[in-house]
Amino acid sequence: MNERIYMDNCVTSAMAPEVLEAMKPYFSEEYWYPSSFVSTGEASSAAFEGFRKVIAAALNAKPKEITFTSGGTIANNIALKGLALANSGEGRHIICSTVDYPDLLTHAGYFEKMGFEVSYLEPDELGFVSADKLKAAIRQDTILFMSTMVNHVVGTIQPIQEYAKVLAAANHKIWFHVDAGQAFGKLHLDVAALGVDTLAISAHKIHGPQGIGALYVKKGSRLGPYIHGVRRFEGVQPGGLSLAAMAGFAKAVEMVYQDLDGHIKQLRELSDYLLEQLESQIDYVELNGPRGEGRVCHNINVSLDFIEGEAITVMLDMHKITVATGSACASRGLKPSYVLMAMGKNHVQSHGSMKFTLSRYNTKEQIDFTVAKLKEIAVVLRERSPLYKAIKK
Amino acid sequence: MHPQNVGVMENPDATATEGSPACGDQVTIYLKVDEEKLIIEDVSFLSYGCASNIATASIVTEMAKGKSLEEAKKITWRDAMDALDGLPPVKAHCSVLAADTLQSAISNYEIAHGLKEVPNFSKETIIEELKKIIYPQVGEDIITLKMVKYVGFDEKTGEVLIDLNLMSFDQYRDNVAEEIREHLEKYPEVKDIKINFPSS
Repeated sequence: MNERIYMDNCVTSAMAPEVLEAMKPYFSEEYWYPSSFVSTGEASSAAFEGFRKVIAAALNAKPKEITFTSGGTIANNIALKGLALANSGEGRHIICSTVDYPDLLTHAGYFEKMGFEVSYLEPDELGFVSADKLKAAIRQDTILFMSTMVNHVVGTIQPIQEYAKVLAAANHKIWFHVDAGQAFGKLHLDVAALGVDTLAISAHKIHGPQGIGALYVKKGSRLGPYIHGVRRFEGVQPGGLSLAAMAGFAKAVEMVYQDLDGHIKQLRELSDYLLEQLESQIDYVELNGPRGEGRVCHNINVSLDFIEGEAITVMLDMHKITVATGSACASRGLKPSYVLMAMGKNHVQSHGSMKFTLSRYNTKEQIDFTVAKLKEIAVVLRERSPLYKAIKK
Repeated sequence: MHPQNVGVMENPDATATEGSPACGDQVTIYLKVDEEKLIIEDVSFLSYGCASNIATASIVTEMAKGKSLEEAKKITWRDAMDALDGLPPVKAHCSVLAADTLQSAISNYEIAHGLKEVPNFSKETIIEELKKIIYPQVGEDIITLKMVKYVGFDEKTGEVLIDLNLMSFDQYRDNVAEEIREHLEKYPEVKDIKINFPSS
């Protein structure tokens, strides 16, 4: 195979050619910002409202509940700091889990420094964080619960609706923020049914442009302003935001949502096929996280025993295959995956973990080629591995 | 990747294993030594680790092959890194592990053949071990970088006390502490390791 096989779509994904086309007019022809009362502004306002409607419809939200941001992380920042700061008068206790996305965990660390108390819920061995644990952690001064809807490492889908019920049953208001970065476009997301107050998504994980995301804020939510600056128009974070990126975001959403069920089914079939091939072709392969419906449709994470993931990743890269690993050797802080460790995996399982996140552009042929190469690499590395030799004895 | 000298050696004259799966890398080195001339006739390795780990073990074994024990004892992790035209700072510890394992294998040979005695464990041993611990951000060891402010060893209790000048927000602090423990725990004299960091 000559083209690159890209299976790291949970980090970012290829922008669809149709998306690029949808963006083009807004760079140098219709580049005006909305909200001006003259004709240029009005034309852009109409376009902007159209884009916002698309995002809102995908989440079953009202257009006015959608704010465009310069990405998922900024959406998380606006929601989390906004909620915590505006409601700190009611209490200073916050709940999250040990397996949340770094956006949330770095906020937890920041809140602790700011004098908040944070409770960290532990997952089970499949990565699920139960609503019962949330219930047990709630205190009189709890003001905020933040959760990652789909785990970014093992694809575990958290019980968001059950959380919402637990929070609603508390005798005071507890704000509920969800990072849906890995869930958007891979699950049906209905913010009303989910019962969340705020929810963050981004475009570039569903073949939209990089640098644009959105935040859902339920009408009536008490959110303080976190980013200060000029507010050019309602519905965007302060400052200027690319109208072209919004156009691309809307187009990417349309492409997925014109047949969301078909899209999910396609990804589920590809993932099932990948897992089946990995388990049947390669020895000592163990799936990390749940199997089947409890897992998002595009994520497969397996540990290959006795060998280390950075070496595997580098060798796959030589065959133009891009995947990810939870090995400490591949991480900036030289630490094993905190998600896998929290799930009770040992160091070797974490170092040998390989994460494949698929997209609609992946094919069965690509999977066949990848598994064949991985099989060869596993044989070579195991021949060299002192751990494998010890087992063989 | 085409590493040299990979594989288990049948009936080696000496062997050593360093590192641990917990830290993500482990190397075993086997030596065959000419008993009269004290020359390393053959050398091979096994590696559990990243691509740099495999590459440094390969280059270290290439450098040692055919050398006398005395010459091979002079091979340092910096030599290995230079021979590879450098490594990123975060990967310098791989080079240390490879060179370290070679030195352990040579030392094991010398002890087994009565060429040297088992060294006494002391504070100096601890300092020598700390010189093998790399601060990943810059690729230098923590002694050279003056990150170690105090080293103590209580012979009666076996307690090691180390003051380390690494702030709580340092992304490599846990990693460095874990490496220190891994390097010292292998000595039976060490019963307890206390690592102190600056407060705040």
